[in-house]
Amino acid sequence: MAALRKSILLLLLTGYTMFAAGPFVWVAMMSLRTTTEIHHDHFGFPDPAHWNKYPDAWFNSNYATYFANSTQIVVAAVILVTLIGAMAAHCLARYRFRLNRVIYFVLFSTIIFPPQITIISLFQILVQYGLYNSKIGLMLVYVAIQLPLTIYILESFFARIPSDLFDAARMDGYSDWEIFWKVAFPIALPAITTTVILNFILLWNEFLFAVVLITEEANRTLPLGIQRFIGDTQEDIGMIATGLMIAIIPVIVIYAFFSEKLIQGMTAGAVK
Amino acid sequence: MAGAALAKRDDGLRRPWGTISAFLLPALAVYAALTAYPAFRTLWNSFHEVLPRRETFIGLANYAELARDEIYWKAVQNTFVWAFASPLIEVSVALLLALALYAKVPGARFFRIAWFTPVLMSYIVVGILWAWIYNYDWGPINVALRFVGLDSLARPWLGDPDTALPALIFVTSWMWVGFNMVVLLAALHSLPREVIEAAELDNCGWGGKLVFVILPMVRATVLNLVILSFIGKMKIFDLVWITTKGNPLWSTETVSTYVYKRAFEWTTFDLGYPSTIATVWFVIVLAAVLVLTRVFRLREKLEY
Repeated sequence: MAALRKSILLLLLTGYTMFAAGPFVWVAMMSLRTTTEIHHDHFGFPDPAHWNKYPDAWFNSNYATYFANSTQIVVAAVILVTLIGAMAAHCLARYRFRLNRVIYFVLFSTIIFPPQITIISLFQILVQYGLYNSKIGLMLVYVAIQLPLTIYILESFFARIPSDLFDAARMDGYSDWEIFWKVAFPIALPAITTTVILNFILLWNEFLFAVVLITEEANRTLPLGIQRFIGDTQEDIGMIATGLMIAIIPVIVIYAFFSEKLIQGMTAGAVK
Repeated sequence: MAGAALAKRDDGLRRPWGTISAFLLPALAVYAALTAYPAFRTLWNSFHEVLPRRETFIGLANYAELARDEIYWKAVQNTFVWAFASPLIEVSVALLLALALYAKVPGARFFRIAWFTPVLMSYIVVGILWAWIYNYDWGPINVALRFVGLDSLARPWLGDPDTALPALIFVTSWMWVGFNMVVLLAALHSLPREVIEAAELDNCGWGGKLVFVILPMVRATVLNLVILSFIGKMKIFDLVWITTKGNPLWSTETVSTYVYKRAFEWTTFDLGYPSTIATVWFVIVLAAVLVLTRVFRLREKLEY
C-alpha cells in the first residue's frame, strides 16, 4: 500500500518535471534541426544533428557583441551595487543615529515601486546628460534599481554580527573603514555572495530598462539582442531555436555547477 | 591613519557623523539622482504636456483624460487579474509539490533543482518558447488536442481575446512555481520535527497534520511569497511585450505595456500623459500593497 502510494507520487512528480523541463528539451531538439525538418515534424528527434547551426547562428548575428555588452554592464553594476549597498547596510546596521530607521525605510520601500514611476524621467535625464544609449547610463540605472534589495538583504545579515567583534577591532586600533572592509565585509561574505548572484541573474535578464534606454545595435544587451535576432530571422524557427539555446546554455551550465548557490541567491529575498 | 584611529577610538560611542555620512553618501546619492529625482520629475511631468523641447503646464487635464481612458482601465483590470490569480496558483501548486518532496521521495534533490530552472531564464526566452507552445498550427497543446479528437478545443491561444490573458498567466505560473516550491520546502525543513512527530503520535492524519500543524507554521512564508508574487505581477512587462504586445483587442494589455506604448511607441511624443498613468499607477500599487499587508496582519491577530 505504502509502495503503491509512493509510486503514484513519484509518477506525479515525474509528470511535473516533464512539464517544467519539456519546453527546454523541445527547443534543444529544434536547435539541432533545420527549419524544413521541423516543418515536416515539429517533435522529431534531431537525426542527423546539425551542430553547424550553432556557429551559423553565432556568426550570422551579433551575439558576440550582445554577450560582451551584457557582461560589461552587469559585472560593473553588480560590483558597484554590492560595494555601495554593503557600505550603506553596514552603516545602518552598526551605527545608532537619529534618522537611521527613516533612511532604511526610504531606501527599502523603493522595492515596491513600479518601474514606470522612474522610467520616463530616467529617459529624459539620461538624454539630458548624454548618457542615453550608453552602457554607462544603463549600468548606473541598474545600480539604482537593485540597491534597495541589496541593502535589505545585507542589512539584516550585518545586524546579526555581534558588536563585541567590532569593539575588539576598535581596541586594536582599526579605523571605521578598516572595520567595515577587514572585519564586517569578510564575515558577511556568504550574504554578499548571495546578493551578487541574485543581482547578476536579475540584471542579466533585465529587459524593460534596456529596451527604453538602449537603441543602438552596438550597445544592445543579450535580451534585446535575442529580440533583435528573432526580428531578423522572421519565420526561420530552426534558427530562432538555435539562437534561444545560445542564450539558455550558459545559464544551464552555470546552474549545473552552482545549483545550490543559485537557488540560495534567487530565494534570498523571500525566505523569512 | 593610526592617529586618526586613536582619535576615533575615544569618541566611538558618540555619533561619528563624518563616518556615517561617508558610508551612506554613495547609496543616498544614487538613490537621490536615479530614484527620488526621477520619481518627482514624473509627478511634475504629469501636470504638463511634455514634448521634446517644450513643456506646457496643463494642470489636471492629463488626469481628466486618464479617467476617461478605457484602454487604461482595461490595462488596470488585466494587471489586477494577473496579480491576484498568480499568487493563488503559484503558491498553492508550490505547496502541494513542496509537501510531496517533504514526504521523502527518492530523487527529491533532483526534482527540486529541475523545477527551479525556468525562473533563471529571461522572460524573452520564455516568451518565445511559449508562443510556440501556444501556436495554432503546430504547438504541442493543439497537436495533443487534435490527437485525442478534441479539434474543436484547439485554438490560437494567444490570438483569442478570451484565452490570451489566462494563457500568459499560465506561463508566469510555469515559471514561478518552482521558485515558490523551493522557498516553501526550506520553510518546511526548518519546522521542529518534534511537533510533527507529536501530531503523528496523536493519530493525526495527513490532512489534519497539514491544516492544523504544518500550514499555521509556514504561514509567514506563504504570505511573504504571496506578496512577492503580487508585486512582481503588478510590474509585468517583458513577457507581454515579447508575446502579444497587449493584443488581441487589449486583452493582455498591462499597465506597464500601456505606459511604454504611450511614451515611446505612439507618435504623440508627449511624455506628460504616460507620466500621469505612472503616477496614478504608483499610488494604486502602494495602496494595494498596504491593504494586502494590513489584511494579512489583521488575520494574524484574529487567529492567535
